[in-house]
Amino acid sequence: MTAAKGALRSLLRESDLPRRRVALSILTGSAALGSAVGLSAIAAWLIARAAGMPSPADLALAAVVVRFFGIGRGLFRYLERLVSHDTALRGVVALRARVYERLADARVDAVLGLRRGDVLARIGGDVDAVGDAVVRAVIPLGVAVVVSGIAVGISGFLDPAAGVVLAAAILVAGIGAALLTWRSARIAAVAGVAADARVAEAALSGLDGAAEHRVWGTAAAAHDALAEANAASERAQEAAARPASLAAAVQQLAAGAALIGSLAIAVTSANAGDYGATTAAMISLLPLAAFEAVNAVPAATQQLFRSQQAARRIVAMAAAESPASSPSPAPAPSPAGGRYTAEGAPAGAPRGRFPVTGPALELDRLSAAWPGMAPTHPATAAVPGGGVLAIVGRSGVGKTTLLLTLAGVLPPAAGEVRIGGTPTRRDLMGPTIGMTAEDAHLFGTTVLENLRVARGDVTEEDARETIALVGLDAWVAGLPDGLDTVLGSGGNTVSGGERRRLLLARALLTPQPVVLIDEPAEHLDAAGRDALDAVLGRLRDEGRTVVIVTHHLHLTALADAVVSLDD
Amino acid sequence: MRPLDPRLVGRIGPARRYIVTTALLGLATAVAILFQALLIARALAPVLAPAPLEEDGLGWLGTLVPEDARELDTALAWLAVVVAIRVLLTWTQERLAHRAGARVISELRSQVVDHAAALGPRWAASGEGTAVATTVTRGLDSLLPYFVRYLPQLLLSATVTPLMIVVVLGLDWISAAIVIGTLPLVPIFMILIGYTTRDRSARHLEAMQRLASRTLDLIAGLPTLRALGREHGPAARVRELGDAQRRATMGSLRVAFLSGMVLELLTTLAVALVAVTLGFRLVDGAVSIETALAVLVLAPEVYLPLRMVGTHFHASADGMAAADAAFEVLETPVASPGGSAPAPNLAGATLVVEDLAVATPDGRRLAPGRLSMMARPGTVTALVGPNGDGKSTALAALMGLLTPDSGYVAALTPEGRTDAQDVIASDWSQQFAWAPQRPDLGPEGRTLSLGQRQRVALDRALSAGRPVIVLDEPTSHLDRASRDEVIARIGAAAATGATVIVATHEADLIAAADTTVHVAALEVAR
Repeated sequence: MTAAKGALRSLLRESDLPRRRVALSILTGSAALGSAVGLSAIAAWLIARAAGMPSPADLALAAVVVRFFGIGRGLFRYLERLVSHDTALRGVVALRARVYERLADARVDAVLGLRRGDVLARIGGDVDAVGDAVVRAVIPLGVAVVVSGIAVGISGFLDPAAGVVLAAAILVAGIGAALLTWRSARIAAVAGVAADARVAEAALSGLDGAAEHRVWGTAAAAHDALAEANAASERAQEAAARPASLAAAVQQLAAGAALIGSLAIAVTSANAGDYGATTAAMISLLPLAAFEAVNAVPAATQQLFRSQQAARRIVAMAAAESPASSPSPAPAPSPAGGRYTAEGAPAGAPRGRFPVTGPALELDRLSAAWPGMAPTHPATAAVPGGGVLAIVGRSGVGKTTLLLTLAGVLPPAAGEVRIGGTPTRRDLMGPTIGMTAEDAHLFGTTVLENLRVARGDVTEEDARETIALVGLDAWVAGLPDGLDTVLGSGGNTVSGGERRRLLLARALLTPQPVVLIDEPAEHLDAAGRDALDAVLGRLRDEGRTVVIVTHHLHLTALADAVVSLDD
Repeated sequence: MRPLDPRLVGRIGPARRYIVTTALLGLATAVAILFQALLIARALAPVLAPAPLEEDGLGWLGTLVPEDARELDTALAWLAVVVAIRVLLTWTQERLAHRAGARVISELRSQVVDHAAALGPRWAASGEGTAVATTVTRGLDSLLPYFVRYLPQLLLSATVTPLMIVVVLGLDWISAAIVIGTLPLVPIFMILIGYTTRDRSARHLEAMQRLASRTLDLIAGLPTLRALGREHGPAARVRELGDAQRRATMGSLRVAFLSGMVLELLTTLAVALVAVTLGFRLVDGAVSIETALAVLVLAPEVYLPLRMVGTHFHASADGMAAADAAFEVLETPVASPGGSAPAPNLAGATLVVEDLAVATPDGRRLAPGRLSMMARPGTVTALVGPNGDGKSTALAALMGLLTPDSGYVAALTPEGRTDAQDVIASDWSQQFAWAPQRPDLGPEGRTLSLGQRQRVALDRALSAGRPVIVLDEPTSHLDRASRDEVIARIGAAAATGATVIVATHEADLIAAADTTVHVAALEVAR
């Protein structure tokens, strides 16, 4: 709980919320709801005074003030909403950039999970939820405190006893509702999230597996599984709704008690001659308007809870690499050919840089593993600079893990990898080593910009040449705007085979002297395999050192060395 | 923008019952509010009046709350009862709202999933088909705030507001005239403002969504950027996109909040006007003090539900959008494949495909395009061809899961030839043992890796004992040893007399097949 609270606070601090803007939002919000309280009090005074049948001139000022409050409410509310939303949006923008930066430096296993759609949607939703804490929690709570203070102040000034009654009722309504709502939100978070996951699983199984259910005759079972998950979810919601309903009832009760108490005190005191009719009327009618601000507490509490959970997830996901596990930057290994720099190619490096000779690569009884997983069979192999190393093995044997270890992302479970004679390090990824994962991302931008992900200075000419090499020239020619067609929208979808070939083209355009390619042959048709051969041939001509993970033995003919992870 | 979808009332039982109950509770709340106002007026009037009150100042409404409520103790006792009733009503309403919301969501979710499943694989591959997953998982959740927050206020504005107007009219026609005069202005102004700003808001909203999705796209690509050492550039881009998004949002909010301001302004100003006119008429003795107090307390209550409807407007928009998405699926007619004749036994039957063509969702290609083939029992038939040219679709048509745009699938048995489109679809489909590309193995399957899932699905298909075995890329995600084993098992299954049909790129499997069929797509002439 404290961790969650701390997470929200630190995220809000990082998003550089301007305190003065938040204060201004609370001020205008309080002016808006305060107008309603003022309207109620002055209108009560006006009616009470008028009942004494004074000269109409005695009412003139009160009449003006009543109208002012009538206008003030709408006006201040508008200002408050503008200021508070602008504040929150500035915060969200800063927060989003900050989350991106945190993620860019986050532990690699966290980053690798980012490609999953559900994770992504959650980050987007979570960032917005943290931003909502300002508009929907901090400001309404601030306004509730200020306006309740004003109402209690007026009432207490007129009659301290009435002030005490109103204050007690508002405290019960505010704190009681907040506690009950918090409880409800916690029940929903614990039981509800698990129930929702079950519902989503059952629903997706019913949808994605519909054809299978028809063939295997399991449609009724799928329907029942969903009905059961639905029922469990309803039970979880019911449990959460109980304290929430109680919170609403408590607020109603507190408002009613304040009304009864104030009326009793005012009428009794007025009858005893302690004060006049106008005071009695104001005290009696004030509770009717005083609870509007405090009635916003349940929604604000719920938002606060939601924002805290979101903040905690963001902080956990973006947990920065602990300095201990990150090897300190050291000079890059001295290259075999001596013709590339530690920084690899600077972004502006001309394509004519190649051929160079990439560094030699040695695996010395290397065994790789994710923390807590079984390590791979020890592998020993060496390729000279500019060579091609193929990694083969059974499904799930850890080929991709080994690749990540080569790249220095994971520390070796045992043994050693040497690149250009020195052990591989995490900071080589990027400057020296470029990796194309099996599920590398195609961005929702143009074909050309997607190729420029490899290198910022890819020219149209470079792009066309590479596109032709992977056999996509006809496909690009068929796109409405050629290389400038935005992918992934308006029907410009990319098939699995086209995607693989685009990624191969991108891998070829990378500037790094060491190129790692993961499982490029999966789901590739004959044309795709030709493209792969062409790319491997070109990489070899350029003198780069290549590591390729594959199931397909025909590729191993192109390799200078083969590592098998099978026993 | 409709506030309430008639299809919710018409087709979803829990929604209908909830609406009726909530309307009744709303009426009860209105009566309680009325009594509260009259009691306050009775209790406070003797204090304010310069001389002891003689007449009943509440007119015919005075019969509801007799004059003895001018005694403080009586009034307080009555008020305590009213407050208790209001607490009970609030609690009941909240409980019912949460329960009904959850029930309606469950009900809609089940109906949508069942209907979407019945719509078949072609619909599932279309844009609507892919959106339905979002609808049934997260989309429908926005119906909960709609039912808990918005709908009760909507029904209160249909019950409390008119009842209060009648009461105010009974007390004081001038105040009622002010209320009745301003009340229609509220929706008129809101519609006017909404109408003139709709296009602008929609444009802004679209720009906002585009910007948000581009930021997420950058985050999604972070692993890729990092693998290429290019992760640090885009932070500035994220900030830029965010700032553009903020400006777009604020632009639309400045306008969107206007309607809220008009709403607040009109309603509060009207209450202020009622108070001021009451004050000046009290001086003249034109209105009784009890009436003035009752009207003063009741006037804000007339507008309160309307204001709350405005406050929860976004809940309405989201809820209606979710309901819309659900009903759009439910109203898509099911074109179920197959007919009514009993299906022949496919054991020993030869399956024939002639001129089979299925249009892709975008309608640009036929994939497969005019496929003809034959699959004999006891043999392995391999479908080969480029990705996306219709191998999986051909398999689905073969199993009777979809109706082709042209051509047909038939079975040749000793009794003669039977067209798949003439027989009961489930009788036909359930004679196939199928391992699709991405098998769905239910909740327990989700913990397995792709390769493991593939193995489980293959095991199920090869050991089901069904006459026809259909395998879609059975060797992908498998290593060499498992691949050889699978190829051997496929041959063994054919040897027992099963008709085996596979879609594959795998050279060894193609070599092991008895027949190879090339599947190719056709461009649709424009």
